[in-house]
Amino acid sequence: MEGRGVPMIRLVDRISAWMAGLAAWMFFAIGLMVTWEVVTRKVFNDPTIWVDEVARFFQVWAVYLAAAHILKRRDMIVVEIVPVDGHPLRRKILDSITLAVIGVFSSVATWYGLQIVVESVRMGRHTSTMLAAPKWMTESAIPIGFGLLLIQVLAEFVKLWRGDAIPAQGHAGDGGES
Amino acid sequence: MTTIYILAALFGLLLLRVPVAFTLGGLGLAMLWLGGFSPIMVPQALFSSMDSFILLAVPMFLLMSNILLRGGIGADLFAAVQSWVGHWPGGLGVATIISCAIFAAISGSSVATAATIGTVAISEMTKRGYDRPFVLGLLAAGGTLGILIPPSIPLILYGVITEESIVQLFLAGIGPGLFLAGLFIVYSMLHSRFSPGYQPVPKASWAERRTASLKALPTVLLAAIVIGGIYAGWFTPSESAGIGFFVSLIIVFAMGRMDWRKLREAVDASMKTTVTIFLIVAGAKLFGKAITLYRIPQEISMWIAGNISEPALFVLLVGGVLLVMGFVLESLSMLLIMAPVLYPSLETMMIDPIWFGIFFVVLIETALITPPVGLNLFVIQAVARSSLLEVVRGAWPFVLMLLSTAALLWFWKDLALFIPFRL
Repeated sequence: MEGRGVPMIRLVDRISAWMAGLAAWMFFAIGLMVTWEVVTRKVFNDPTIWVDEVARFFQVWAVYLAAAHILKRRDMIVVEIVPVDGHPLRRKILDSITLAVIGVFSSVATWYGLQIVVESVRMGRHTSTMLAAPKWMTESAIPIGFGLLLIQVLAEFVKLWRGDAIPAQGHAGDGGES
Repeated sequence: MTTIYILAALFGLLLLRVPVAFTLGGLGLAMLWLGGFSPIMVPQALFSSMDSFILLAVPMFLLMSNILLRGGIGADLFAAVQSWVGHWPGGLGVATIISCAIFAAISGSSVATAATIGTVAISEMTKRGYDRPFVLGLLAAGGTLGILIPPSIPLILYGVITEESIVQLFLAGIGPGLFLAGLFIVYSMLHSRFSPGYQPVPKASWAERRTASLKALPTVLLAAIVIGGIYAGWFTPSESAGIGFFVSLIIVFAMGRMDWRKLREAVDASMKTTVTIFLIVAGAKLFGKAITLYRIPQEISMWIAGNISEPALFVLLVGGVLLVMGFVLESLSMLLIMAPVLYPSLETMMIDPIWFGIFFVVLIETALITPPVGLNLFVIQAVARSSLLEVVRGAWPFVLMLLSTAALLWFWKDLALFIPFRL
């Protein structure tokens, strides 16, 4: 189990976990912001100019920052028609296909997301709201979030083929909570 | 032919256990690439799908549900309702459904509803000799009321995809939600009449009722704020969810039911569920964009217009497809895949999109309690530590009731549309 790659993988896992922790409290903060907006509007008749935009900003960042950790914990929703429990080779092959799909998708999202950010910085784009915030501040969530996801994909590939313990996929929709 | 290839790729990837979010996103990306469209649309779609104030309602309602679940609010609610109706024939079953309906008016999630009430009701009912499969089926089905009685996460997502009014969708869910709750209550009473083993609960005194009701009062007030605020036009659904989250936090802290560890658990669980749902929303957005560029919804709509002349036949066909999909597909994925495909056909068939949203959600409720992939079955299985078969045995009568309600909705559209459009 021990090897040169392990500390690096542990670091990747830890960064993903930190980002997910940050994302969780960003959602909490959104709740406080929205409450503040309602209070200032309804009680003080003085609506804020920032809550709508900052809450959306937090939402975009929180979702994509946590994606890597969700992959690591195998919390994504899958359709479980083909059984993998008790079939280690089948699981390895199917997991590899999944990681390949996510890897390709993340690479495209990171690369083209970065181009959008660079373009926004170059052109000095701002949001068309009263805050007029620089657009790259929210757009960066895509290359950074999917960049982290891509790194996590690579870490999961290594773990999978080294035979490290990988969490079992929950029931289809365990995380769905519809 | 393109449509068939896309469907084959979609189901192929799902069969290979590629997560739904990346099946949709990956397929969307492949379609853009094959069609010669710029991949820059990928980050654009990912960004725009999450840059939405309406979607904020989802994490807020999930936070509220998780805080109340960990604050043990289900026990107070169940005790209060039981003190009023527990002595009726099948009274604990009745109390379970009423508690589910009240919790449904706070939470937009079937899982949270089933877990919150199930944690308390299952042991109470089995102690009193209620037939165990019946109890488990009742809880699995009762939990599904969480997504029909507003607020409702699937209705928020349907509203976001189709750009229909979420307030109207919420209001349209009230009638069928209460109807189903009534149906489940009648079934519970009838079931107890033919169950020899069950012991009725003694009638609670007025003092007991008062004490129990006072304890549950904050929860009922919370439901009134969440639903009343939206109905009265004080808040948007997202604002109502935010206020609900904050008030629920005050309630559990004021009652001494929350500590740092539980709060962290609630916040973490809400994040996990939100991100899993939202990744599918983002994937579905990209997939939706790609199929629109390929004109697939329009082709399906034209095919339907050319081959199906009767709206009733269309609804029957769609109902059948959704029922079959519901056996294998997780319910929100079903909604996010099918709603953009079917939506353009509604106009051709002259079907009210608000009505269709409710019809869709009733079929999602059915999907939640049908094996092999029925999320509420798994939740109740986990809460009760029972076998899946036992839950399924108890759930099938409720599947029939849900399907009958879906059929009734067709013949009595005002069951859904009266409150939003005629009241």
